[in-house]
Amino acid sequence: MSDRSKLRGRDVVSTSVVGLRSRRGRTLLTALGIAIGIASMVAVVGISSSSKAALLAQLDTLGTNLLQVEAASGGLSIEPLPIDAEPMIRRIDTVEAASAVIDTEIEVRRNAHDDTVVGIGTLGATPEFFETLKATVVVGRPLDDGLQSLPVAVLGDVAAIRLGISDLAGGPTISLGGQDFVVVGILDELPLNPDLSRKVIIGDEAAVALFGIAPNPTSIYVRITPEEMTDTRPLLAPTANPARPAKVEVSRPSDLLEARAEVDQNLQNLLLALGGVALLVGGVGIANVMVISVLERRGEIGLRRALGATRGHIRSQFVLEAALLSGLGGVLGILLGSAITIIYARRQSWVVDLPPEALLSGIGAAVVIGMLAGFYPAAKAARLDPALAVSGGTG
Amino acid sequence: MTAVLTLEDVHRIYPGSPPVKALVGVDLTVEAGQMVAVVGPSGSGKSTLLNIMGTLDRPTEGRLLIEGTDTSKLSDRRLSGLRSKRLGFVFQSFHLIETLTALDNVATGLLYRGTSGRQRRAMAQAALEKVGLGDRLHTRPTKLSGGQRQRVAIARAIVAEPSLILADEPTGNLDTATGDGIVALLEQLNADGATIVVITHDPDLAARLPRQIEVRDGAIRTRAGEHRALENEHRTVEGGADR
Repeated sequence: MSDRSKLRGRDVVSTSVVGLRSRRGRTLLTALGIAIGIASMVAVVGISSSSKAALLAQLDTLGTNLLQVEAASGGLSIEPLPIDAEPMIRRIDTVEAASAVIDTEIEVRRNAHDDTVVGIGTLGATPEFFETLKATVVVGRPLDDGLQSLPVAVLGDVAAIRLGISDLAGGPTISLGGQDFVVVGILDELPLNPDLSRKVIIGDEAAVALFGIAPNPTSIYVRITPEEMTDTRPLLAPTANPARPAKVEVSRPSDLLEARAEVDQNLQNLLLALGGVALLVGGVGIANVMVISVLERRGEIGLRRALGATRGHIRSQFVLEAALLSGLGGVLGILLGSAITIIYARRQSWVVDLPPEALLSGIGAAVVIGMLAGFYPAAKAARLDPALAVSGGTG
Repeated sequence: MTAVLTLEDVHRIYPGSPPVKALVGVDLTVEAGQMVAVVGPSGSGKSTLLNIMGTLDRPTEGRLLIEGTDTSKLSDRRLSGLRSKRLGFVFQSFHLIETLTALDNVATGLLYRGTSGRQRRAMAQAALEKVGLGDRLHTRPTKLSGGQRQRVAIARAIVAEPSLILADEPTGNLDTATGDGIVALLEQLNADGATIVVITHDPDLAARLPRQIEVRDGAIRTRAGEHRALENEHRTVEGGADR
């Protein structure tokens, strides 16, 4: 007859479950520590990833194929772009649309007698401006060829608010550099080019003709066939200013938006670390409770030893109990963290994005912490002298 | 007859200053089918003796043989296995798991033998019927009387059909009438062939059993004058009684 103890795998699990079930209140409270840690980590990951998903979805609709060509800043003098830079760029096959704009210093007032509205500038733009930037008006109309040379203006959304104009009822006018301009439209928000929100846009011809502004463009916005981005981008500087390509700067406005999605990373790491601390505290809590539990359950441990449990069986029972306890906390934490993420994302009208790997690693982390927390108490339980344990220590 | 249990010159000394000599040279043989009372006042060493017989404790010196197997050199795993297959325990304080039903408590007696859950339950039911609790299978210990709890514990001890049942003060937590019922049950099991050792401090209980072994100051002395005829056939060796 073979005299080895045997414990079936599923019986190891059910034995541990019995241990937890017999102390429901304590089990829940102990699991709560882990749940809070996991919940905060899941929420941090879920919220930031939902926010990023929302941002990327926005980028997707805005397109990442818009480039901005500018005279390079830096150095003592800024070399302005040549007047024919925009027509030259437009000649490149892969350019879908391009628009030159002239940043002017024309002062903006509500009316001729009012003070200058600080922080709002005037921009002279070619008619392709709206198409190139996919800029739409919330009210009124964009500028077109017919309006180019007339004293009419389209307001950026912020500029409109600052000028106190919210609709076009009664044909509102503003005063630009002492001349009255009729407002014909108000722009929608431009997430890729937030600087344009603070501009009053007039025709480039009007800017040159009515204010004597130099016709050199300050910036050229270029929309490129998406697949040809990498090939086309290097062509822009030499095309815009063949004599001095180094004096031209090409940037992609969507990069800024994308960078904003990444900036949160530091904060996210900090919050994750805080969640990790909560998790560690939860783990210590589990270790504490398990140590107490082992002391209280000496009789049970002695009994199991008498029934044939080896030290290894006792150890695995308690390690597994701790792991299950912590895993339960992990599940609770994931539910809680997901709920927080969903509620928060809904409020921001974001798409909810809960990365499955974050959820899985949440459970995994909980189980690992639980096992680590269980090792010491389990070793204590396994080392108990069975003779003392069955008799309750009275020897 | 086969010796179920043999103690050869067993000493158990607990280290300390001064060291406690709980057992000093015990020789004892229990044959299959016997029912033995180990009696003695508290502090006599009978609990130590029980722990050593149950392999829960190891002798400092001397040997313990269970059905001829020398336990002194067995690993924890083998020793545990030996307990799971050949020994059954009944404790004064029952040691039932409160969240489990009577059936599951008894089935625990087979847990560490690797028996399947289905078979454990079937055998547990049979054992409970044997102790007269066939109608209490799904009752939790908290809903049972003391006597019923001890019956559940006895069912757990016999469910694996061990070679030896060790009962430590099985009536210690029970009133006289209930205790008598438990002793009657043990006698019944013995009549059916079980080998049983009962540890008790109660001389009246011991007197009811066919063979008595008295422990005093860590050694055994047979009780003169109270032996039944059967008793004389068995070899009961005294060891260092007057030390």
